[in-house]
Amino acid sequence: MSKESQLRALVNQKLIEMGERERLKELLRARLIECGWKDQLKAHCKDVIREKDSEHVTVEDLVAEITPKGRALVPDSVKKELLQRIRAFLAQHATL
Amino acid sequence: MSPAACSHVNGFKVDNWKQNLRVIYRCFVWSGSAETRKRKAKSCVCHVCGAHLSRLHSCLYCVFFGCFAKKHIHEHAKSKRHNLAIDLLYGGIYCFVCQDYIYDKDMEQIAKEEQRKAWKLQGTCSHLFAPAGIGERYSTWEPTKRELELLQHNPKRRRITTNCTIGLRGLINLGNTCFMNCIVQALTHTPLLRDFFLSDRHKCEMKPNSCLVCEMSQLFQEFYSGHRSPHIPFRLLHLVWTHARHLAGYEQQDAHEFLIAALDVLHRHCKGDDNGKKANNPNHCNCIIDQIFTGGLQSDVTCQVCHGVSTTIDPFWDISLDLPGSSTPFWPLSPGSDGSVVNGESQMSGATTLTDCLRRFTRPEHLGSSAKIKCSGCHSYQESTKQLTMKKLPIVACFHLKRFEHSAKLRRKITTYVSFPLELDMTPFMASSKESRMNGQYQQSMDTLNNDNKYSLFAVVNHQGTLESGHYTTFIRQHKDQWFKCDDAIITKASIKDVLDSEGYLLFYHKQFLEYE
Repeated sequence: MSKESQLRALVNQKLIEMGERERLKELLRARLIECGWKDQLKAHCKDVIREKDSEHVTVEDLVAEITPKGRALVPDSVKKELLQRIRAFLAQHATL
Repeated sequence: MSPAACSHVNGFKVDNWKQNLRVIYRCFVWSGSAETRKRKAKSCVCHVCGAHLSRLHSCLYCVFFGCFAKKHIHEHAKSKRHNLAIDLLYGGIYCFVCQDYIYDKDMEQIAKEEQRKAWKLQGTCSHLFAPAGIGERYSTWEPTKRELELLQHNPKRRRITTNCTIGLRGLINLGNTCFMNCIVQALTHTPLLRDFFLSDRHKCEMKPNSCLVCEMSQLFQEFYSGHRSPHIPFRLLHLVWTHARHLAGYEQQDAHEFLIAALDVLHRHCKGDDNGKKANNPNHCNCIIDQIFTGGLQSDVTCQVCHGVSTTIDPFWDISLDLPGSSTPFWPLSPGSDGSVVNGESQMSGATTLTDCLRRFTRPEHLGSSAKIKCSGCHSYQESTKQLTMKKLPIVACFHLKRFEHSAKLRRKITTYVSFPLELDMTPFMASSKESRMNGQYQQSMDTLNNDNKYSLFAVVNHQGTLESGHYTTFIRQHKDQWFKCDDAIITKASIKDVLDSEGYLLFYHKQFLEYE
C-alpha cells in the first residue's frame, strides 16, 4: 500500500472511531436535501427506470447511470463545508 | 428484482440467523457504541486489497470483507458459494444469484431496529456532540397491515384545497351561550389540538358520556365532517354545567373564565392519555392540554438591602394583562416613548399596543413598605422589588386583556383600543433575556435570530356591548392568510384589517417553529 493510501486508511479509522464519520454523513445528508440535490437525483432515477425496462432494472444499473450526474450536481458550498469540517477534525486530533 | 424476497435467503435463515445478523449490523454497519466503532475502524477493510472505501461488503456466511467495486466480494461469493452479502454503508442485502439487492421483510425489520438503536446511542454521547446533532431521526410512515385494511375499506378521500371551508362550522346559541361558542371556535382551530383529536389519540378512562375530552373529540369530528349546517352543542353545554358548576345557568358568563374552566376539566379528564411518566405529580402531567397550553411564569423577588433574589416558577395557561384606564397604576412606562417600531406595531403616543402591556407586565415592581417580605439573606423583613418574566413559553399563548373591572368602587368595561400584531416575538419578555441584560450582554441582534420565541396570531375573541349585556364573537385563521368571523351560527369571511382593528379580548398566538423534544 502506498504511503498515501495508508494515510487515508488511518484518517478513515480515526473518523469512524470518534463517531465523526456518522456526523459528517448526517451533515451531508441534511445539506443535500436542503439544496434539492436529493429531489433532483430522485427524479433522474425515475427517468432512468422509465427509459429502461422497469421490470429488470437492478441497483447496479441505476448506480452506474446516476453516479456521474450525482457527483456533478453537488454544490461547491457543500463540498467546501465538509472539507472544512474534516480539516478541523484533523487539526483537533493531530496525533497522526 | 422481484417484490417478494428471493428464495436464496432461505439457505441463510437457519439456526440462530437473527442474532447473527443483528451482530453484523451492530458491529459493522451501524456502530453505535465507541467499542463497536473501534472494531469497525480496525477490521472493515477488504481482505483482498486492503481498501476501505470501494463499497465494502461483508459476506453473510463467513467473516470476509470485500470491495464491491473491484468485484472482490463477487470472487469470494463464487468460490465459496456464499451467495449473500451485506453493504456496510447502507445495510442492504445483496444476492449474488439474483444479482441485485433484495428486500426480505424479516431482515428489513432487524435492520430498522438496529439502526434505531445505534442512533439512540449516538444521541446520548453528548461529549462527542457536534452541531450536526443526530438524535431521533425522522423516518417515513409505513402503513401496518391493519392500517392498509382500513384504508381499503374506507375509500372516500377528502381533498383540502385552499378554498375549501372544511373545519368551519357555525354553533347555535342555546341562550347566552356565545361565551362558550367563541372559545369552542378558538379551540377547534388550534392546529395541534386539531391534530391530536383528528388522529384519535384520546383513550378514555371515564364512564361513557361523562368525559369532556370525548365530547371535544366528537366536536372535532362534527367540525371536520364537511357539514355546513350549524352544530348544536347541547351535549357540550350539559357536560360543562356538570363539571364546572359555577358556569351553569342561562346568564351570560365570561369567555375567559370558560376557557380556564374548560382547559381545567379537559386536563383532568385526560388522565388516560398520560403515559405514566409523571403520574405522581398532579401539577406536571403530560396530557395534550399541558403540552400545548402550559407555560412557566418566573417570579423574582429581590431584596432591596442584600440584593438576594428568591425565584419561584408557576405554571400558567394564559397571561392576564392590565389595561390603561383601569384603577391599577399603569402609565407611564418610560419617559417619552420614542415612536420606535417593535413587533410591527408603531408606538405613537396614545395608542396602546400588546407589547406595551407585556412590558408593563414584566417590569420590576416596587413592593412598598406596607408589603415587606421576609428575606432569607437578611433574616428580617425588608422592602423588595418583584419582577415577572416568562421562563417557559407554551406552544399556544393566550393573552387576556382585562377589560372587565370588578373592583369595590366600580364595575365597568374598559373599551380602550389595544393594537396587537399578527406576528409576535416574545424574546424581550423571557427570563433568559432579562438575565443577559442584567449581565450586561445586550444581545438584541442574537435574540431576533432565535426562532424559538416567535408566535403567530390565529384566533381573536371579541366582546361587544357592556358589562351587563354583551355578545362574544371570534375571528379565526384558516390556512395561512384567510380569516373568518364566527358569530354563533353565522360564519363570514373577514379581512386581516377587520381582525387587527377589532377591540380584542382574548388573543391566541401559536408558536411558529416547533421542535421535537
